[in-house]
Amino acid sequence: MDTTVPQRFVVPIGPQHPALKEPGHFEFTVDGEQVTGASVRLGYAHRGIEKATEGRNWVQNLYLLERICGICSHVHATAYCLGVEKLAGVTAPPRAQAIRLLVAELERIHSHLLWLGVAAHEAGFDTLFMYSWRDRETVMDILEALTGNRVNYSANLLGGVKFDLTPELTDQIYAGLELLEERTHQYVDVVTSDATLLQRTRGVGVTTREQAEELGLVGPTARASGVERDIRAEAPYAAYSDFPVKVVTATAGDLEARFVVRLQELFEAYRLIRAVLEKLPPGDLQARMPRKIKPAETISRVEAPRGELFYFIKSNGTDQPERIKVRTPTLCNLASVCVLAIGSQLADVPMILAGVDPCFSCNDRMVTVYSGDTDHTQWTWKQLRQYGIDYYRR
Amino acid sequence: MNAIQDLLTLMFFPGGLFVLALGMSYEWIDRKLMARVQNRVGPRWFQPYADIAKLLVKEEVIPADSNRLLFIALPILALAGALTAALYVPLAGFDPLYSFKGDLIVTLYLLSLLTVCTGLAGANTTDRFSLVGATRTLTQLFSYEAPFLLAMLGPAVAARSWQINEIIADADGQWLLIVQPVGFVVALIGLLGKLEIAPFNAPEAETEIVAGALTEYSGRGLALFRLGRHVELVVGLTMVAAFYMGGVNGLPLFILKTLLLLLILVGIQSLVARLRIDQTVGLWWRWGVLLVLAQWLALVIWEGVQA
Repeated sequence: MDTTVPQRFVVPIGPQHPALKEPGHFEFTVDGEQVTGASVRLGYAHRGIEKATEGRNWVQNLYLLERICGICSHVHATAYCLGVEKLAGVTAPPRAQAIRLLVAELERIHSHLLWLGVAAHEAGFDTLFMYSWRDRETVMDILEALTGNRVNYSANLLGGVKFDLTPELTDQIYAGLELLEERTHQYVDVVTSDATLLQRTRGVGVTTREQAEELGLVGPTARASGVERDIRAEAPYAAYSDFPVKVVTATAGDLEARFVVRLQELFEAYRLIRAVLEKLPPGDLQARMPRKIKPAETISRVEAPRGELFYFIKSNGTDQPERIKVRTPTLCNLASVCVLAIGSQLADVPMILAGVDPCFSCNDRMVTVYSGDTDHTQWTWKQLRQYGIDYYRR
Repeated sequence: MNAIQDLLTLMFFPGGLFVLALGMSYEWIDRKLMARVQNRVGPRWFQPYADIAKLLVKEEVIPADSNRLLFIALPILALAGALTAALYVPLAGFDPLYSFKGDLIVTLYLLSLLTVCTGLAGANTTDRFSLVGATRTLTQLFSYEAPFLLAMLGPAVAARSWQINEIIADADGQWLLIVQPVGFVVALIGLLGKLEIAPFNAPEAETEIVAGALTEYSGRGLALFRLGRHVELVVGLTMVAAFYMGGVNGLPLFILKTLLLLLILVGIQSLVARLRIDQTVGLWWRWGVLLVLAQWLALVIWEGVQA
């Protein structure tokens, strides 16, 4: 062993690690319990979906893109539908837009409750984890009753939605919201007053407003640092212009603020859902969509539970897209983990990581870096598939 | 004849197998209660037995760059320490099997053997999670051990004896936790630290360092370490119940009192988040040691005034 060079003690987290339920790889250099360096490597769950969309027609892609994320499948479909509708010059009927909002907010409730459980588990507070996941079943049941599915709700269609609300469903949603609202009050109480949990969250992983803006944070993570950034309010889509959102922010920027912001957003979601149920516009559920779309390009932005979800869609006059580019919120937030981890305790790292509510499989991209004068070729789907097979055969 | 009887006592009842069975039953109660508190179903009664049986038959992987002898010997030593400690406490309401002057100190050190072995086992491998876990285990040992020891010596000072038998006899069924509440609380919370359960489970915080010091252990070694922990749970509960809750005369009283303590432990661990290791150390040295020392001082002065 060379004693002149100081040994680096690296603690790897992932791709297989109890703290991460999805594959991502983080390397934290530690000095005792102090973290002195951090790096991230992604790409373990790359599925080539963007490329795959180019070989499928507009309708087929809806089902493919919904499967980018298992937690926020509805917002992906919504972003795609809104974009494609914009390209085709079609507007979904108001009732469909309201139902899109309804499902999106139900999904936000389920996602935030899921996050609460995961974050509590990272802090070693398993009772809160079990309770929040138990209560999350309420909203999962509602989603299942509404759409027939617990994960990929498949509520969207190009030009509208598939499902309508019945009086029984409305009653079930009201009853569920009542229970959840009561439980959420208790969770807010717990995360702002429990002494052991506060020791792990208050003042930990503080992101200042400047840092948040510099790192380009999005969603609740940014809002916890006082950045008022919410697509639902800035550029209302679906029915958000009829049912305006109050943006929830906090100023502390620590993990406690992230807990509070996400929980307060739950109240906002309950309010929105109630408003939609009370004033659901009558009318059709679907507008007619053309099969082919003339060459054009557009962007579509929606607010996923984790932050801004961005779609770029380009059509070429056929029934297939020319290019679809997806930017998911986790990708924007992940850089902050590497910045915040440095200087913190090793024990706080999983908490900081969970604090941005990472979602890895929607994150993974394949980037081919061209250097100098190498041949700029475009890979076909077949080549890409072969590359994948060859890569893992080695 | 006597030798055979001794052997039976050591191997089966109330030493040996009986202690192991009792330990696993208490482990089950702990897990089941915890699950019910958390709104889960929880394991069935034979789950700890099944876990141990499964681990015992599984292949044990010995890491190439660890000391083989230490790797195999440490779990055995840990379990032996816990089992030996069980011989000196009034297990299941019976009189301690063996007793001599100063056996309290010996028992307390035998109980620490498990933690020391765990720490050494972690340091014996080159696994990064194990090394961090070993550091934390030993750091934690140095934080709770002194206050726990002082808390256990409280009743000893009152009884003017360092023999477990005599201390219990001296208390004569009185609940010492009324006159020494600080000692009781510190002893009980010290037990949480000893057994590495929440909020003192930083040494094996799975979301940070996988299984801590025991990450590299599988199969038999892991089974022995876990058995050692189960036994230590019972021995620890017995000691606290015997010293602070008016002794454990007879099986019904033993079960009642230890289960009551276990219930308190489950309550604590289900209500708290995990403390960071620096917070654990801070808690013990800033509060635990000072409080228990203050009580000690009061106790010594009181004894002096009486004498």
